[in-house]
Amino acid sequence: MKYDYFFKLAKEKGIEECELKIYETYSLSFSLFHSEMDDYQVNDGYSIIARGLINGKFGSASCDVWNKDKAEFLVSEIVKNASVIEDDDPMFIYKGDAKYKKINTYNKELMDIPANKKIEKLYELEKLIKEGEKITEVAGVSYSETRTTSTLLNSHGLKLSQKNNYFFIMGEAVAKEGDQVKTGYDFLFSNDFNQVNPKELADKIIEETTSQLGGEPCASGDYQVVLDNSCVASLLGAYLSSVDAEEVQKHTSLFEGKLNTKIASNKLTIEDRPLQKTLFGRGFDDEGVATYNKPIIKNGVLMTYLYNLTTAAKDGVKSTGNGFGGAKIGTSPVFVYMKPGKKSLEELFQEVNNGVYITDIQGLHAGLDPQTGNFSLQSTGFLIKDGKKDRPLDIITVSGNLMKLFNDIKTIGNDSKTFISAVSCPSIVIKKLSIGGK
Amino acid sequence: MINKKLALDIINLSLETGADYSEIFYEDSHSQSIMVENGKVNGSTSSSLCGVGLRLLKGNRSVYGYTNDLSKNGLTKLAKNLSASFDGERILTVEKFEEIKVKNRNPIVDSYDNHNLEERIALIKEGLDEIASMNDPRLVRVQGAMTTNHRFVTVYNSKGKWFKRDTEFGRMFYIVVAANQNGIETAFEGPGAQQDISYFKNKVNIRKIARKSAETALLMLDAKECPSGKMDVVIGNGWGGVLFHESCGHPLEASAVSRNLSPFAGKVGELVASPVVSAYDDSTIPGAWGSIDIDDEGNPGEKRLLIKDGILQNYMIDDFNGRRMNREGNGACRRQNYRYCPTSRMSNTYIANGKSTPEEIIKATKLGLYAVSFKGGSVNPATGEFNFGCSEAYIIRDGKICEPVKGATLIGKGHEILKDIDMVGNDLALGEGMCGAASGSIRTCVGQPTLRIRNITVGGRGGELR
Repeated sequence: MKYDYFFKLAKEKGIEECELKIYETYSLSFSLFHSEMDDYQVNDGYSIIARGLINGKFGSASCDVWNKDKAEFLVSEIVKNASVIEDDDPMFIYKGDAKYKKINTYNKELMDIPANKKIEKLYELEKLIKEGEKITEVAGVSYSETRTTSTLLNSHGLKLSQKNNYFFIMGEAVAKEGDQVKTGYDFLFSNDFNQVNPKELADKIIEETTSQLGGEPCASGDYQVVLDNSCVASLLGAYLSSVDAEEVQKHTSLFEGKLNTKIASNKLTIEDRPLQKTLFGRGFDDEGVATYNKPIIKNGVLMTYLYNLTTAAKDGVKSTGNGFGGAKIGTSPVFVYMKPGKKSLEELFQEVNNGVYITDIQGLHAGLDPQTGNFSLQSTGFLIKDGKKDRPLDIITVSGNLMKLFNDIKTIGNDSKTFISAVSCPSIVIKKLSIGGK
Repeated sequence: MINKKLALDIINLSLETGADYSEIFYEDSHSQSIMVENGKVNGSTSSSLCGVGLRLLKGNRSVYGYTNDLSKNGLTKLAKNLSASFDGERILTVEKFEEIKVKNRNPIVDSYDNHNLEERIALIKEGLDEIASMNDPRLVRVQGAMTTNHRFVTVYNSKGKWFKRDTEFGRMFYIVVAANQNGIETAFEGPGAQQDISYFKNKVNIRKIARKSAETALLMLDAKECPSGKMDVVIGNGWGGVLFHESCGHPLEASAVSRNLSPFAGKVGELVASPVVSAYDDSTIPGAWGSIDIDDEGNPGEKRLLIKDGILQNYMIDDFNGRRMNREGNGACRRQNYRYCPTSRMSNTYIANGKSTPEEIIKATKLGLYAVSFKGGSVNPATGEFNFGCSEAYIIRDGKICEPVKGATLIGKGHEILKDIDMVGNDLALGEGMCGAASGSIRTCVGQPTLRIRNITVGGRGGELR
């Protein structure tokens, strides 16, 4: 076997338990600019992360070429790195679970479709966007596809493997009116190429781009707000960083001491669904623990933290199968599913009657503090007037606090959309948010 | 390592179908990261990165691929795969490679490789000891880390040139979390340089930097929420330059300009900023975090004057994007590693010194915000729209720095606020950061003296400024 030498050598050098994570990736991507293919990339990648345990201390190392020298490199680096660890956190190489669910995340058909068929659709998309009224430039259209095989091998004989693939197609357009320039984009991702409909995607991109023209700020103040599903997805990502047991144990989580208590509106139910058949499905986590579906927040009540083997041992519970990462294992949900409500987006506008519809928020890495939940973010959107979407808003900020925002949910829409960040959620109505404008 | 003979074969093979340029980028780098939390080492990892990226150009078309199979077979397969996307006749054959030699402004004298982990841990702990000596129970989580990298690159191209680069760089991090009944605040300091270990041993004051991170976290803990609305903003020197980096630097990169996707496209010679503004992108500062001696296309690093007295002078240009602009590259072609196709990027980008003193600028401001430092931000290069979160800020009243405020965000359009800068200080400083874009995450410095922008939109949760 290709990797036997590593395990044999590790044992000889005093590494008591060890593991290899091997990622083999293939990717193809291309983009068009002015009807010319300006970028084409095809890559065969390989990377390997090794972790080993000596006297209860973990050392790790990684490389991207496999030969005898690299096996020796990984072993010697593990020994060196483990020797300086002072921390007493319990560390594990997992023996394995009795059963693992298989989730099909690979569609062979996608890889069999010749590249020129894929390129044709992209030319079509570019042409259709260009025909859009007020579109002055197609900033670019691109297609990319990735196939990844992840394998976990360890010294207990555990061997797990999962293969997935997907494509991502997107277009970005520029519209001008007077001095004002606006860009807009939209995308589709899937592993079923039959879902590509250039007309539908082009129409969305044109609408996204041109609808923002003519915008100016609204008056600063508190508004009732409809948050578009894409904004909900971004904010959920930051909100759920607090569900990581390590953050809780280190006193930097918004959810510390809140287990089994009400933390959000009773309309809010969020689940982690690794076993649902999506592109993101996983039967095991990066430590080899079997995954399972579970509620994180149910009717506003916090049901669980997310654990890996180390944080679970510290709290005396079982890992929730959410240990993900490379050399350092953190935690994250696999596929976040927020339960939709009954009202359509238009019905949400009617309900709000007069307020603001936020369609985009920017700069979450700087404008949002996950530890306090406070945020102040550059946004774009529309006024809601007399129950309908009205004029666009330019250069506004939306400020608030994540805990308060998810407590202040008035209504949840039925327009769920799945995002590449592995979140599925609908648009929501927030009772009150502070908007900075004129 | 790829020898010249093999490189010549692969380059010529890749040119078979009519590419007008071909380039092999070979990289072999090693990095080491050590993390210390609450006084104890809790992570140490080593990483080796080794692979080849091959880029072919034909007119305005670019084809790129990489592989970890460095054998003749592996590289032949890659060359054939990529050249198959063109269908012309050979127009170019390379006979031999000549070495390009440039001045080495960032030499390795005392390599990290010659120092063991214990020595690095001792350096990290020096700063942590300083924080511990503050003995403040509000400091609930203190992390220190050091990441070092030794990177060896060899490039061969169809212009018959080859060169090698051997560089080391290192960065330290101090991340401090402070908490009390008011909430939690995090502060961060991350000094780095394209220098060997002597930088941390002899040139920076680790204790001072670590203490600063703890002091900022404590200060912001009791800060009030920042007011919102339009106001005059004085931006601090050093890291304050991230605003210029995001809102003006990115739209000055040829990747945006050549596609007419920048507000600065076609504006060389025009007044694009207030006449008090001059700006540079300088790859030649010895040992600076963002410096490069030679770029990925073999063009030497340059000190590029971008804006002089408000008038646009130049862009960051790589050879490929330069083709659409009828310009040669000016040494700005960079990438994170062999897995990325290179493009035009910044190096050390800053607004040059002006005539005012920082004190004069504060004194001249009746009511406004003093934004000392930022956590980061983002920009849409096509529209110029940007946003930045402040990590340390104060209200200015009657020319005096008053209470600290938190949660401030600055938003606007880069090309518009450039015109609204009315005072530039004389205290230029640089700050180190990582910049993410199409060719990956690369090392860059931002920088500026203290300066004032009139009437910019500030987002915050503290109501109206009074």
